[in-house]
Amino acid sequence: MRFRVVNYSKHKRLMKRLLAIALFAGMVWSGCYYDNAEEVYYYYQFTCDTTAISYAADVEPIINTQCLSCHSGAAPDGNVALENYDDVKFVAQNGSLHGTITATNGYSIMPTSGPMPACNINKISAWINAGMPNN
Amino acid sequence: MKKSLFLFIGLLINLSLFGQEQEYVHGLFRGTHIISGQSAETQKKGELDLFIAHRFGRVNSGFYEWFGLDQASMRLGFDYGISDRLAIGVGRSTAGKTYDSFIKARVLRQSNKMPVSVTWASRMYVDATAPPENQPLLFVHRLAYSNQLMIAKKFSERFSAQIMPTHVHINLVDLVRQPNDLFSLGLAGKVQVSKNLALTAEYYYTPNPFLLGDATRPLSIGFDINTGNHVFQIHFTNASGMQEKALIVDTNGNWLAGDIQFGFNMVRTFKLKGTRY
Repeated sequence: MRFRVVNYSKHKRLMKRLLAIALFAGMVWSGCYYDNAEEVYYYYQFTCDTTAISYAADVEPIINTQCLSCHSGAAPDGNVALENYDDVKFVAQNGSLHGTITATNGYSIMPTSGPMPACNINKISAWINAGMPNN
Repeated sequence: MKKSLFLFIGLLINLSLFGQEQEYVHGLFRGTHIISGQSAETQKKGELDLFIAHRFGRVNSGFYEWFGLDQASMRLGFDYGISDRLAIGVGRSTAGKTYDSFIKARVLRQSNKMPVSVTWASRMYVDATAPPENQPLLFVHRLAYSNQLMIAKKFSERFSAQIMPTHVHINLVDLVRQPNDLFSLGLAGKVQVSKNLALTAEYYYTPNPFLLGDATRPLSIGFDINTGNHVFQIHFTNASGMQEKALIVDTNGNWLAGDIQFGFNMVRTFKLKGTRY
């Protein structure tokens, strides 16, 4: 009786190679990230894009999350409402917006819980310096 | 015994009938690097290269900085040829305190049967600069990769040329609008002027490098000087980088504004296997 001899060594070698390629590819692709510091390290803000600041895209979201809880409604805190562009432009022009968020020129810090991340302050300052465009 | 004899005779007939053996073309470029980027050449088996690359500061920085010679940036590297077709290496650059390691394989070699040499190189970078105070930085965000295909052809004893499509991946870029992947097409050439002197040039065309701030495209012009065991390369370039990622991503010098840097590469080869020099 004769047994059929199957040569597995070739397969084994092929499997080894495939495994090596798969491992290598896995290492390469698992190490591959598509991140940017602006979003990932948002809180730490080691980078901050202050070019072409827009009111709608940059300033308004900051005002909405950081200021509106107190500075809106029928009786806003300090009688300062920040509900729309004209409100924000008014405080920006009289200097109180920049003064409070940076605690300079005798203004006390806003928000009262502590200063905002530096990038938010930089963005608002850049918007004020650009002439407070309504864009 | 009989069988092997037949085989041998068969081989002889085969050779005499179908003629030529594969004859590889040697010396496409003088070294494993053209100027700042790599060439299609690799180390021979058992050769360890100590690779020292130096770039001085910008020529237009004036007399006080001694026209750039006061500022120097370097890359120190060790490259080793595992076989005639496979090399690995590690290095450390001053700029960005970057550690890099690479693997480089000759896929095709120019010969009487093959018109071009094709070499593939892949490099991984670890940026070791400390992040700003009180700010964490994940290790994966320090990493970047580059893949490069070098297609080279030696047209004559005097002239060789190379094109290298290159891909760079950066795990962490600064801004949202910056891409993590950059593609670039490199062009390089060598003209042998005399036995020991060659003129080289290297340029990387990145379609849109300006997404990364004030980036420009690196152009380098150099001289290869052969001094026995050493290869000495001196060059003028607008790029301070000495590996692909720094070349393609971090170059911001402008030739026309005088942002030209003088630099040199020095290679010392140690033979660890086979006959010593």
